[in-house]
Amino acid sequence: MKTLTVTAGLVLIAVMSNTMAAAEKPAIEKQAKQTSKVKQTQQMQHRRRAKQFALAGAEGATITLWKPDLTKIPLEQKHLMHGTITLPPSGLDNYHAIVAEKDWGDVKESVIRYEYLRGKPSKNSPTILSAAQKTEFEIVPDPIPRGHFQYHTDLEWNFITRFKGKPVPNLPVVFETTNGSRIETKSDNDGNVTITIPTDFPDMVPGKRDRRSADFMLSAEYKDSGINYQSALSGEYRVSRMNWRSVGWGSFVMVIGMVAGGFIGRSRKNKRT
Amino acid sequence: MNPLKNLSVIRKLVQIAAFALLVYGSSLGAYHLADKLTHALPALSCAFDHNGSDICALIPVQHQLGHRLGPVITSGGDILMGLMPTLITLGTFLFFFIFLNKAFCGWICPLGTFQEFMYMLGQKLGLQPTENVDQKIVRKGRPIKWFMLLFLIFVFPLLSGVGFVNHDLMDPFCKICPSRFITTLANGDASQLHVDTASTTTIVLTVIADFLFGLVIVLSLTVRQPFCRICPILALNAVFRKLGLLRLIKNASSRCDKCGLCAKACPMDIEEIHTEMEKKNVLFEDCTLCGRCVEFCPEQDVLQMKYTVIPVFSADPKYFKDRNKAQKKWEKNNLMAKLGNNRKPAGDSPA
Repeated sequence: MKTLTVTAGLVLIAVMSNTMAAAEKPAIEKQAKQTSKVKQTQQMQHRRRAKQFALAGAEGATITLWKPDLTKIPLEQKHLMHGTITLPPSGLDNYHAIVAEKDWGDVKESVIRYEYLRGKPSKNSPTILSAAQKTEFEIVPDPIPRGHFQYHTDLEWNFITRFKGKPVPNLPVVFETTNGSRIETKSDNDGNVTITIPTDFPDMVPGKRDRRSADFMLSAEYKDSGINYQSALSGEYRVSRMNWRSVGWGSFVMVIGMVAGGFIGRSRKNKRT
Repeated sequence: MNPLKNLSVIRKLVQIAAFALLVYGSSLGAYHLADKLTHALPALSCAFDHNGSDICALIPVQHQLGHRLGPVITSGGDILMGLMPTLITLGTFLFFFIFLNKAFCGWICPLGTFQEFMYMLGQKLGLQPTENVDQKIVRKGRPIKWFMLLFLIFVFPLLSGVGFVNHDLMDPFCKICPSRFITTLANGDASQLHVDTASTTTIVLTVIADFLFGLVIVLSLTVRQPFCRICPILALNAVFRKLGLLRLIKNASSRCDKCGLCAKACPMDIEEIHTEMEKKNVLFEDCTLCGRCVEFCPEQDVLQMKYTVIPVFSADPKYFKDRNKAQKKWEKNNLMAKLGNNRKPAGDSPA
């Protein structure tokens, strides 16, 4: 599993500075220098500013923006300034995939991140994007987070390891977060990996809203025909809302409502009688 | 009576199928269902239900007013551009609404289905359901749905978007909508039944939501369609009801004065369907096009459901006779009767 750490260092530096203990930073930053990484620095969904991501180790990497209709926009030097990629407008709404690839000959590295960009309705399902082969070896979320269903702590999510479009069974994978968590597991016979996103934000206060986010990386390595394929999936997760929501109290209030309903029904019945 | 000739049975079957599609749709295997069918359904289907195949029009409208129009107003941008997403949603809503009109409420809505089945449970338990709600209460309650539509769907999200009220009021109706609980609980997810302590606003809204849900569960055992009476989508549907192709027509006869069975059969207690003698179009604002008034009208063709000009279901004395008999048989067969309680059978048989 040692080799997995090569691709497992894809982290968000800006998010780490908010959430990670100072002692953990240097090690992660060192890893971050070793390979390509995608970092989201701004999220301006509602104001429609271009999304930006920091890409460390971008030298020699091919970066492509996959649109929901599976057409591609190659990202050029003008999109990459000081290690930060600015995503160009794709003209389409829906989920896009940012794919960074590096070919070392006997080693092929890739990192993929799915992001929502705004534009005209694409008329394409995000499932088409996740099903498409974007790089030879890849890890895809099943499903892509969407709507109210996003990655958050204490949530189980399924991923699929795929080589040339076919699931890779029994493959060791590593899940790492910028908060310092690390989970090692294996894909099952169908290439599925189920991960429970750890509750690892420091200093969480129960009952208090917490809008922090962090990044995770799910990485794996696969060897075929003498080539070592290393791939990672990057994504953002948040503190679970259940941290400041109480189902117990909710159920209690519902029971009060039921009792009130019973009283109303009863008083109406007595009135009729 | 052959159950497959009973309009209420047919409607229940359609309701069950619609419930399965809207609440469990994406688990049926077709990914297009997981992507949601219209994003502007004229019925309460919730976005918090991850397995659902559609979401109601009220969800995008609230978000678009808050996230799109609000910022455009504050930044002095092009109002029409800010309003465009909402107009597109309402246009999509209208496109689907035209085909079924308010039957989306009476035949499709998952929350309406839940309330109807709860009422049937009440009947089977012999809970002596309230035959008709007092007309004074019905009349006083009618404006509530318009206030819900105006303030919870349009005003608060917009005020939140321009920054006059806090962000937690961006989607106030979703926060109190009982459909959120029904659809998520139906998928084994109890997390929506919560009190949210993020802010005072969320505490107030979630407490109202939980209380309202409990109230709706118990009231629907004895009162027909309690939440539908205040539902903002009923109001939104009412705005466009004259554009729908499915209509409810009355050809009043002199005997209508004495009868009134249609109003008694109406789950929304619309008395006007009985008293209206002039207008032909009796699709009133509270009507859900369930067709019960037509079923229980004993006069030939006095009440009709028409698709454009084609009658699809008409009042018929023979149908009325059989339907009434079937209803009484259904009501008699309840738990209380089996336990030997001799009180009057529970039920809503109008005749």
